[in-house]
Amino acid sequence: MSVWLAIVGAGLITYLTRTLPLAVEWRWGGSALFRRYLEDLPIAIIAALAGAGVLAPDQRLALGPEVIGAAVVAAVARWRRNLLLAILTGIAVVALLRLLL
Amino acid sequence: MVALREGWPVLLSVAVIGIPFGVLARQAGLDILQTSAMSVLLFAGAAQFAAIELLRAGANPVVVAVTALLINLRHLPMGASLRPHFGPRPLLQRLGLAYLLTDEAFAMGIGWYRRGGSGVAYYVVFGAALWASWNLATLVGAVVGGAIPDPRVLALDFAISATFTAIVALGARGRRDLAIALVAAIIAGVLRGAGLAPIAVVAAGAIAALAGLLVRPAK
Repeated sequence: MSVWLAIVGAGLITYLTRTLPLAVEWRWGGSALFRRYLEDLPIAIIAALAGAGVLAPDQRLALGPEVIGAAVVAAVARWRRNLLLAILTGIAVVALLRLLL
Repeated sequence: MVALREGWPVLLSVAVIGIPFGVLARQAGLDILQTSAMSVLLFAGAAQFAAIELLRAGANPVVVAVTALLINLRHLPMGASLRPHFGPRPLLQRLGLAYLLTDEAFAMGIGWYRRGGSGVAYYVVFGAALWASWNLATLVGAVVGGAIPDPRVLALDFAISATFTAIVALGARGRRDLAIALVAAIIAGVLRGAGLAPIAVVAAGAIAALAGLLVRPAK
């Protein structure tokens, strides 16, 4: 019973974090500074998601193959402007480094 | 179907993570229905792994729910960032779009809009495919159990981080964006390394964007 309570409770709370910004009518203060903050937020969050996985893949800070892989991904993405190519190149580099190291 | 063409490495990787989730949930004492219900109701990988760890240790439902809240606070700024791109829509549609909000769908969606895309088709197609992939993999893991494919072989576990990195590299408009991204990545890595994984992403994103306010934007 308590397992079901945990699942339903955590599920409802998780859905709430998703719906609050999308389904509720907000009246943003709308100061220029705050709007600039919101503009910078998406790239900062995606970079944070990447950084967490790249710099601490096993929950510990480590400069491993993932760091080199991420550098390769960024370089290929900037150079070829191709999302899929950058991802696949990075995966190949990390697979190869793990094999060698 | 650009979303599937660009997103398949992430979809595959999520499936490969979903199977061990199903297996671990069964080992933590959940039955098949509970395991699948968790993937349908939470649909949030990090929070689900944390939840089964807590349940295995006998934590009460309030602790599980509060932990899920902390881990998923990052959805708030994500939803706020996506909303203007979705445009005005009826409440029911917005409730549906909200259900599909994950790290991956957020990043893929923002990446699409930053490259000049519009509409919700890209986000919805990717989000729905991700949902199918995660839930199918959960069920396979819960039913079959045992034989866990190791995502580290072929570096499939890196596919998601690689995708986030590529989206930042493609979406960053100039040095200022790149600097904000680098600061966010380092803070998030340090926080996660320091055992603060539940809040690492939301805190790093908030702080880096705040630091960005100190830097004058390019005119």
